[in-house]
Amino acid sequence: MKSSSFRRIAAVTATAALILAGTTACGRGSGDEASGPKVVLAISTLNNPFFVELRDGAQAAADEAGVDLYIVDAQNDSATQANQLATAAAGSTKAVIVNPVDSDAASASVGELTAANIPVIAVDRTVNDAKLTSLVASDNVAGGKQAADELAAAMGEKGTVISLQGVSGTSASRDRGAGFDEGIAAYPEITVVAEQTANFDRASALDVTTNLLQANPGVTGIFAENDEMALGAIQALGARAGSEVSVVGFDGTADGLTAISDGSLYATVAQQPAELGRLAIELAVKAIAGDDVEATVPVEVVAVTKTNVGDFSK
Amino acid sequence: MSTTTTTPSTETPTRRSFDYKTFLANNGALVGLVVLCIALVIATPDFLTGQNLLNIGIQVSTVAVLAFGMTFVIVAGGIDLSVGAVAALSAMASGWFFVSAGLPGWMALIGGLVVGLAAGVINGAANAYGKLPSFIATLAMLSVARGLTLVISDGRPIKTAPEVSFLGGNIGPVPMPIVILVLAAVVASFILNRTVLGRSMYAVGGNAEAARLSGLPVKRIIVTVFALAGLFAALAGLLLAGRLDSAQPQAAAGYELDAIAAVVIGGASLSGGLGKISGTFIGALVLVVIRNGLNLLNVSSFWQQVVIGLVIALAVGADVLRRKTRNS
Amino acid sequence: MTVNPLITLRNVTKTFGQVTVIQDVTVSVYPGQVQVLLGENGAGKSTLIKMVAGVYQPDGGQILVDGTVTTLPTTKAAEEHGIATIHQELNLVATMSVAENVMLGRMPTKFGMVDRKELRRQARAALALIGLEIDVDTPVGRLGIARQQLVEIAKALSINARVLILDEPTAALTRHETQALFAVMADLRRRGVGMLFISHHLDEIAEVGDTVTVIRDGHFIAEVPASTPEDELVKLMVGRSIEDQFPRRADETPAVTEVLAVSNLTSAGRFDDISFTVRAGEVLGIAGLVGAGRTELIRAIAGADKYDTGSVAVRGTKLPKGDIQAAIRAGIGHVPEDRKGQGLVLDASVNDNLGYATLASSAKLGLADFTGQRTRAEAVAAKLRIRMHTIDQPIRSLSGGNQQKAVFGRWIIAASTVLLLDEPTRGVDVGAKVEIYELMNSITAAGGAIVMVSSELPEILGMSDRILVMRDGRLAGELSAADATQDTVMTLAARDVAAQR
Repeated sequence: MKSSSFRRIAAVTATAALILAGTTACGRGSGDEASGPKVVLAISTLNNPFFVELRDGAQAAADEAGVDLYIVDAQNDSATQANQLATAAAGSTKAVIVNPVDSDAASASVGELTAANIPVIAVDRTVNDAKLTSLVASDNVAGGKQAADELAAAMGEKGTVISLQGVSGTSASRDRGAGFDEGIAAYPEITVVAEQTANFDRASALDVTTNLLQANPGVTGIFAENDEMALGAIQALGARAGSEVSVVGFDGTADGLTAISDGSLYATVAQQPAELGRLAIELAVKAIAGDDVEATVPVEVVAVTKTNVGDFSK
Repeated sequence: MSTTTTTPSTETPTRRSFDYKTFLANNGALVGLVVLCIALVIATPDFLTGQNLLNIGIQVSTVAVLAFGMTFVIVAGGIDLSVGAVAALSAMASGWFFVSAGLPGWMALIGGLVVGLAAGVINGAANAYGKLPSFIATLAMLSVARGLTLVISDGRPIKTAPEVSFLGGNIGPVPMPIVILVLAAVVASFILNRTVLGRSMYAVGGNAEAARLSGLPVKRIIVTVFALAGLFAALAGLLLAGRLDSAQPQAAAGYELDAIAAVVIGGASLSGGLGKISGTFIGALVLVVIRNGLNLLNVSSFWQQVVIGLVIALAVGADVLRRKTRNS
Repeated sequence: MTVNPLITLRNVTKTFGQVTVIQDVTVSVYPGQVQVLLGENGAGKSTLIKMVAGVYQPDGGQILVDGTVTTLPTTKAAEEHGIATIHQELNLVATMSVAENVMLGRMPTKFGMVDRKELRRQARAALALIGLEIDVDTPVGRLGIARQQLVEIAKALSINARVLILDEPTAALTRHETQALFAVMADLRRRGVGMLFISHHLDEIAEVGDTVTVIRDGHFIAEVPASTPEDELVKLMVGRSIEDQFPRRADETPAVTEVLAVSNLTSAGRFDDISFTVRAGEVLGIAGLVGAGRTELIRAIAGADKYDTGSVAVRGTKLPKGDIQAAIRAGIGHVPEDRKGQGLVLDASVNDNLGYATLASSAKLGLADFTGQRTRAEAVAAKLRIRMHTIDQPIRSLSGGNQQKAVFGRWIIAASTVLLLDEPTRGVDVGAKVEIYELMNSITAAGGAIVMVSSELPEILGMSDRILVMRDGRLAGELSAADATQDTVMTLAARDVAAQR
């Protein structure tokens, strides 16, 4: 009996120690200068290279501007994000940059922040029904159109296409898909033969593309709503990628750019996530200083192909 | 009701010549799979082609290997929610060993397996010695492993060692994932059917106290069971990474539910003591064939989720039916 | 009889799949009478009861309520006819109060809320019907089994039950509690309630019953008066005569080899300073009231639980605390009290259940010895005459007696020489009981030693060579088989309790 209660105490102590270590290690970004204004970056997920790059861009800009940046990760859960925003509203926060998990779900939490006169800058996705100080976003619909144009060019404006969709119901998937459909409709000799979800996930895209190629062996083009899925599709195509079948992705992640350099990925629409992060910090600093800021700051989306990939690779 | 006074069963083939209820309850998954395949053969000419069947074999490998490990746990009366996260962590750790730690590829591969094994041992020890219910212990491990994966990778994919990529490639005309799948099935089935450990799992899952009073080392068995689940999860994770040539931070997210579904569809009971590797394999095939078929038919992803949910409900329904016929 | 029966099952038949479990059985329950249903486990008693209670429908024959042919498609329908069943597993919600349990499903309400005052009043009235005086606000889980049973009876009566089915109500009761239950039954009989009573205790039949219906293998055998002598009833029930219910054959010249030695064994709050020895060829009975610490003592000796101080030695070798495997290696075999909860893996086969204790020891390189295990299991199943279709059928489908024989068989395969038996014949019918006693004889004849805990005094007195009596975790005394009587044992077991009252 004694040894078992001892074990239990040991287990509890270990757990507590872990939690403490976790909180102290994670709560803040880098940099020790606690002197700067406190800005919270509430990010939807760090489970995806795109947002990791966005965070890195913001962190770099914050270090430069002497901002004390706190980064919280909602792990794609709206409820978690609401809690994190509520915590931000209660602290000594001077500004909040929010990358909402869901544009509708975040509106109440953002409302509380604006009511407390804390400037809120949305990044990448907007927050509906909220008085945002500013929105920094790339135009996903325009990006989808550009992707359609690139793919059409690669295919000689004729042939059949597979479209790989992201997580059903997300705004990124909706907007990119809508832009692509609109863009591809301008090429009468191109038909989209299958539209299936692969959940923005490389492994799913591998399986789904393999299956779709079975049903549609003659496709010459694949559009994927993000680079991860494009890379999965390339894996499924094997040697056919880049030669018989042109693949166009979206996001311009490091792996995607590498794939463009080696020719397996024809093009991607680069969102410049680091630029999104950098601009968001700049706007936050301006807002804290009381300067006027633009209501929407569009960030250029750029089609990246082999010709200009050098400008993007780091 | 063991005593009977009626004539032997062979002499009364008239009225109840075929007890469809019992047959369905015992072979529900297999019947379902056959019906599904027949329907797909009729619906699309692309289903029954050599290449597509090979594709299905490759696609089933990951979830089946995960589910084999899960079968041990469920037979022994537990549940392991961490297999997907442990798969991702093992693959990521293997990538890290190779890229960042500069270990040779084969050591990175073994290192990945060791990480999975260790995670499993921790799960098992927390359950057997720490008295945490397996649901809670592995839920915690799910979060920890997923978190560590992100810590190691910083949210970015890591390139895998060529030895790991080999797992996802071909050996001659035969895809390696299928080879590994077959090997894993043989090993798992051997463990479950032929070894003392395997037979003990059924006893522990059926009635842990009776097993203990009969002198079986229940705690050690539980730790070994979770360790095996961790090892199989690591293998599945490396397989997945091998197919993609890279370890993904979000790899295998939600796969634990696929694995549990495969085991349950395969006829195991969530209350323990029942389950077979062959059943689990059929269960995994059912899931993968459904996804493959719905892709071939270009069915909307919204409906895919609905269909898979219904299949799981049917499978669990069969489990309930099985109990009813057994207990009456 | 001039009185009309309340309910009659007339020539009923019931089959499950291809197995006929009840064939052409007729049984009636009369107002103000206790009809006893007697038969071995598996004879079909529970199937009959379930037909009366509306759980099963007969495939042939008729059910008559008040002389009219009726069907009872659901338990609800049976209740509406005034038929209530008191099951072995009680249908009470342990966390709810006595009052709530009595009134479950028909709570009095006021403005949509539970009317607590009215609830208590009606519950008290129900309890008063059987003279039960307890606080209606007590959670039912805090009451003993006996009182829970009475609460259930009160509940049944409060919904105007005219027919009460009592399925082995005395199985878990002490002698004293049984007497209290019989008093209630006598009272109900005076008030015209008809009862269908099932018990394995033959001595209770004459005490409480009026008529006995004997069934065997699903067939009606006889209807006899309850005053029929016990051995006559046994003969009807088993189909052969059993000369001796307790066939203990002790060695004429007892061996002197000490096999098990327990010294000063203490576990705080469970038992205190227990010392005794058992010789080869001896059956040591341990008597005492429920809660005296007998099961806890047995479990500690078997290594199932740890203890604080003292020691257990088998043939001079001290056993480590709380180490079941070491105990088994030393030759100890433990037949636990709760057969289904602790003894068996119910969904596993008879073969598997017989082999658990030897699974690891017979293995080579971690591989199970299937052929050897099976050969040994088949031999033991044949030796113990375990009745089954095949050795691969789930043990769940065997009768209680055959299940218990399988638990014994496990230790026979393991060649255990010290058997610790905890209520070895609970829920076992007469025929199988005698077989288990014979088995004990053959174990001791082969030089084995047995420690037997039992709450059935006739069993303790009939089968033990020496009797230890425990009270409140301590040894209250030791009696030789010759000196022991029900009175001497009970005096030792209950002295303090009696003094306190």
